Amino acid sequence: MKGLLTYIPGSTLLHRLDPRTKLFISLLLCVGVFASSNLIYLAAVLLLDLLIGRAGNVFRQTFSIFCKLLRVMLFLFVLQLLFIQRGDTVVPLLFGLRITNVGIKTALLVVMRLLAATLPLCILLMVTKLDDLANSLVVRYHIPYKYAFALTTAIRFVPEFSKEMQEVIEAQTTRGVELDTRNIFRKMALIIPLCVPLLISSVRKIDGTAMAAELRGFNRRSWKNMTSSFRFRARDIITLVLAAGVAVVGIIL
Amino acid sequence: MIELKNVSFAYEPANATSGAVHGVNIHLRRGDFCALLGSNGAGKSTVTKLMRGLLRPTDGSVIFDGQDLKTVRTSTLAARIGYLFQNPDRQICKNTIREELRFSLMSAKVDEASHEELIEAQLKEFGFNGDEETATMSRGERQRAALSSALVSRPELLLLDEPTTGLDYLECKQIMECISEQNKNGVTVAMVCHDMELVLDYAKSCVVIDAGRVCGAGTPQEVFYNSELLEKASLLPPQLIELANRFELGEKISSAEDFAALIMERRRSG
Amino acid sequence: MIAVKSFSFRYAGGSRAALDGIDFTINDGEFVGIIGRSGSGKTTLTHAMSGMIPHYFRGDFYGSVEITPKNGVALDTVETLPDTISQFVGSVLQDTDAQMVTSMVWDELRYGLEGVGLSEDEINSRVTEALEDVGISELADREISSLSGGQRQKVAIAAILALRPQILILDEPTGELDPKSSRKVFELLRRLNEQGITVIVVEQKIMQLCEFCKRLIVLNEGRILLDGETKETLTHGDVLERVGVHVPRIVSLYNRLTEQGAKCGLPPCTLDEAEKMVREALS
Repeated sequence: MKGLLTYIPGSTLLHRLDPRTKLFISLLLCVGVFASSNLIYLAAVLLLDLLIGRAGNVFRQTFSIFCKLLRVMLFLFVLQLLFIQRGDTVVPLLFGLRITNVGIKTALLVVMRLLAATLPLCILLMVTKLDDLANSLVVRYHIPYKYAFALTTAIRFVPEFSKEMQEVIEAQTTRGVELDTRNIFRKMALIIPLCVPLLISSVRKIDGTAMAAELRGFNRRSWKNMTSSFRFRARDIITLVLAAGVAVVGIIL
Repeated sequence: MIELKNVSFAYEPANATSGAVHGVNIHLRRGDFCALLGSNGAGKSTVTKLMRGLLRPTDGSVIFDGQDLKTVRTSTLAARIGYLFQNPDRQICKNTIREELRFSLMSAKVDEASHEELIEAQLKEFGFNGDEETATMSRGERQRAALSSALVSRPELLLLDEPTTGLDYLECKQIMECISEQNKNGVTVAMVCHDMELVLDYAKSCVVIDAGRVCGAGTPQEVFYNSELLEKASLLPPQLIELANRFELGEKISSAEDFAALIMERRRSG
Repeated sequence: MIAVKSFSFRYAGGSRAALDGIDFTINDGEFVGIIGRSGSGKTTLTHAMSGMIPHYFRGDFYGSVEITPKNGVALDTVETLPDTISQFVGSVLQDTDAQMVTSMVWDELRYGLEGVGLSEDEINSRVTEALEDVGISELADREISSLSGGQRQKVAIAAILALRPQILILDEPTGELDPKSSRKVFELLRRLNEQGITVIVVEQKIMQLCEFCKRLIVLNEGRILLDGETKETLTHGDVLERVGVHVPRIVSLYNRLTEQGAKCGLPPCTLDEAEKMVREALS
């Protein structure tokens, strides 16, 4: 997780777009892939996702997330295959289980949809400063600041949390807990009891953050008091129209 | 006891220079009490983690008691090497001290028959009754609890990463006395510490690290009177030694008592 | 000015009062150090002065805490919201990691300024100035997670300075720093104090407090044990030792020398004063 999903500074077109535009593009792509059941369309959107990553100069990170997601998806794919028993047999398995044509199609569809919908959101986080996103929503759409703060803080704490976890794992390994095992299930079983200290220290940290925010005028932050330079430009409108086009194609197909 | 032979290590991503070490050679003998000195980010914590096998050297080797750590799984050495982190919250995961100590022994795979005896001895040594609740203890007490759980399996080597940060003076002193006692009983100690006065009071030897390289070593006295070395590693000597350096005293003092006695003697002799 | 009068506080659910009968006044322009053992109430006192008590931390509150801005009227912390108090009093919390509310240095400094109705130009110039004051202009575009402990500490201080506080309260600002970096933080505080900001700092490292603070308040079990000029406080070495606060080694030296009959005047706070003391003792 280290270094992924965190903002990567840059000056590409993607970086310069209004944060709201980027949010809407991600959402439009999601709408498109969930509305469509066409595998070719989904594959095209996946490719588009990777190209967007390239355009934001975060291709390496995008691809790495793609590969990580792929591993999870493979698991999901197999589960789907085994659960869906309708349709014609393609490959018979043991115990009366079989792989069916419906199974393959549905499993592929679910996996590709999830992939194609998750990637744009990941890219969004890499090319947009979270605080900009939150501020633009507060200033332009008058979303109460506390919701925006909760969202940004939650996302910001993901890497903090994994760092903390890493340190707990180190501390427990030194006393002999076999967290250096290669057996992932055994590792899981060992980690779960350790989540208690992790939770306690995280809650403590979040409490500190809340207090720090309050000490610096958390309650003053509403759209009425905040100035900002967020506004839609030509580039925002053009990219939004393109994304909307992709979504419409998805709905039609 | 433990030896770092030409060890290098760099964190990912490669552009993170902080904490990396290059070609480090350190040799600790049995019974040593060695302080690792250096500024923030010099690589001191990296060295202790390498000694414990938490990090694998990218180059060179770490030899513990004749074994190359590369060939050993990190968790298997728990009974022989104790480790205390700066923050006890990450170590303590049971409700009472007794459970915590038992968890340590179980994880370190110490023979179950000796558990009760080891736990009782450890509790007695630290003056705990065993039923104290770890969640409601003060920071200093928690640190002592974490230290006791690192020591309960009677390790030969004790690694300490800033064990006194965030503690008040009395708590510091308590922890250091415990560690010093262990050292007198033959436990080898390596300690990362920013408090030079504690180093002067307790350590037997020092290794100075700057930007990932060992740039000096010696007894605390030798190191603290070597202003060139301290300057290079951005260290400040203990206050009294900084003061003593302003005079031609002819001998090395290490405590206020020494210094006062010296001054009074000079006064008498004129 | 901060006036604390017969102030006691017990946290909701706490078994005993964290602070008990506290009385003191801190005038504009002072540089005050607060020391005491863990659990003596130091952090609670900082929360009381920043108005977090009683608005963020609930509990039993007795007495009063009043903040008087320059050329203004006294504000009672019970009646005034922390939002108002934070315009005069800046607080740097103990855990600077937790204090960060954004992910980039520049945004972190902007945070407190965005809700005040300042113009974009004014915000940017204040941020630039605060970065320069602390000497970290080169960190402006860095990600906070990529900074070292010392750098984060400075960002935390800069983020508060951008708000232009009249009073600065810091809770163990050098906790995780090496001696040289801690010294630099204290030198920064001295510079700010010379610019007219009142500085109140809670610390365990007595050496630095003695060198930099003009006044020292010693807390013990929720009460004020000693409060006075640093030098004067240091003459009570035995009292300090009894409550677990050790004096700097140069003061121990002073104590040993006076015990043995040397006349050394008041205890030394800085190395230069100690040098003078030793020279006089030797001559």
